[in-house]
Amino acid sequence: MTTTGTAQILQLSGIEKAFGGVHALRGVDIDVAQGERLAILGPNGAGKTTLFNVIAGDFAPTVGTVRIEGRDVSTAPARTRPDLGVARTYQRTRLFPGLTVEDNLYVAIVGKERGHLRIFKNKKDRVFRERAARAAQRVWLGTKLDTKVESLSHGEQRQLELGMAMSVHPSLLLLDEPASGLSQGERQRLTEMLLSLEESVTLIIIEHDMDVALSVADRVIVMHDGSVIAEGTPDEIRANQMVHDIYLGRTGSLE
Amino acid sequence: MTAADNNASRPRGRVVTFERALLVFAVALLLVLPAFTSDFFVSFVLTQGLLLGIAAASLIFLAAYGGMVSLAQTLLFGVSGFVIGNAVTTGGSKGLNLGLDPWLGVALGVGITTVLAFFLGAVASRSTGLYFLMITLTFGVIGFYFFGQVTTFSGFGGINQVRAPDFVGTPGQFPERLYFLALAVSVIVYVVLRYIARTPFGLSLQGIRDDHVRMSSMGYNVWVHRTLAFTLAGFVASLAGVLFIWWNRQIDPASIGMGEILALLIIAVIGGINRLEGAWVGAIVFVMVNNYVRDVPGLNQIGLTEARFNTIIGLIFLIIVLLSPDGFIGIGQRVVRLLTPRAWHTSQAPGSDSGSGPSVTAGSRSDSGSGSAETTGNK
Repeated sequence: MTTTGTAQILQLSGIEKAFGGVHALRGVDIDVAQGERLAILGPNGAGKTTLFNVIAGDFAPTVGTVRIEGRDVSTAPARTRPDLGVARTYQRTRLFPGLTVEDNLYVAIVGKERGHLRIFKNKKDRVFRERAARAAQRVWLGTKLDTKVESLSHGEQRQLELGMAMSVHPSLLLLDEPASGLSQGERQRLTEMLLSLEESVTLIIIEHDMDVALSVADRVIVMHDGSVIAEGTPDEIRANQMVHDIYLGRTGSLE
Repeated sequence: MTAADNNASRPRGRVVTFERALLVFAVALLLVLPAFTSDFFVSFVLTQGLLLGIAAASLIFLAAYGGMVSLAQTLLFGVSGFVIGNAVTTGGSKGLNLGLDPWLGVALGVGITTVLAFFLGAVASRSTGLYFLMITLTFGVIGFYFFGQVTTFSGFGGINQVRAPDFVGTPGQFPERLYFLALAVSVIVYVVLRYIARTPFGLSLQGIRDDHVRMSSMGYNVWVHRTLAFTLAGFVASLAGVLFIWWNRQIDPASIGMGEILALLIIAVIGGINRLEGAWVGAIVFVMVNNYVRDVPGLNQIGLTEARFNTIIGLIFLIIVLLSPDGFIGIGQRVVRLLTPRAWHTSQAPGSDSGSGPSVTAGSRSDSGSGSAETTGNK
């Protein structure tokens, strides 16, 4: 359910994406209001991650436009997204294994700031490192600042993945299956943290874990085979027979 | 506990104490060695080792921190030497014979090499992994034939009788002076590169090494970053080129040929391509083998004469690659670990040097990156 009267932070219109002959997205229209919490559900291969990659600028849509805060960024490269307040996580963690937890967060924070090419340290670095330490605490890694990422457990790496995205105080946060590979307790903790996000933050979350997705979201979109096939509140989606069928694999085709 | 308290309570200074002590000891040893050794040793082992070490450091910097194994460093090293040769000779040699002041020659050599490195880097940085390796190798081979065939600048005979500043003197006059200069430049290059590794530029370069896709999504222009890292490495290589031309007084295309290109890579691997120190360790080992093979008893009898230098260095290379992917530095680290109490490595393991590469070699890292390069490499 779209919050009316608020600015649309993200507008996707007619998004199609083809990789050779494979149509990963077949005309997706989604508007997301600022502060909205949107969950995207769908079986593997539904096009969810492709949609994220298009929003994040990893590749341009074949057809259609992506607008973030009203600006057409369909063909703008990924590196321009942080300036628009976008941060994302990846389905498979993409961290810097050769660096420590603190340095991973530090690099994430510097990415949003100016001075990527600075070859001397200055007092800003202390501020960045304090922010990095706070960001680590937020994802329960406060005691692991000096640990190299390659020696973190899988769960800790997922936490850091999330911490890096949140460390830049994004206005649009894209989370790609943040709960995958987490224990039940960790999922609970993740859900609580997502619920505690500031109200101004817009969240789009891809998640297979229905408990996490439906308790965090105030609107749910279900994708299948590159298209949006259902949309509604978490309660409506829970009650939707078609969604159940897709997840349980009863129907072969829904087109 | 606030974040600041947390920072202060961490033992950041102590963790590198042992490593630093070792480095200080090594430098101290290098400072006093000339007093106890012959001029030959100072010139042909120590000076040559240090200047090759600086060239290898430019390669290792790119490989360890940037995940870019560049074979163009020998070319950049040579360009610096050729520019100086053309600038300072006064006639009687190939080249432009501009007869400029030797210090002006240095400025030109370093300046032109650095600018060239920027442009070569801008091209090569579009690719990663094996493709980067091949492109930089191509640069090296082009450079070899350029200086061989363009007789305006050199020709295959090379440039001879290159003058050095009075401070360096004539060949053989003050071997210690050039040696101490090479030592000073080595220390400065090492300290500065290690420092840069901890700055925003250096840390994000290491981020790019580990995952350039993530880095772009966090706002970094990966291509610019790589290009500037390559430029910086070119600057370092050009310093080695200056020392080389003052040491050798002569440069020809064979100085930057295929054999030399590979020698620099071999030096880096023998020393340890994941750590900057490896550059100098590898270079000194390489030069020692080169100079002293003939003196090892028994080798002559089994046919490994001086002329079999490449066989011996090849065997060392093979043993190193098989036994210790981190080179001599890796062997040293293992020995230290065996000899020190347990408490050391627990405090030393994390953060002691986030500058050094991860346990995988730089080469395999950048290879793994090349798979995903197609999708985002042209952003």
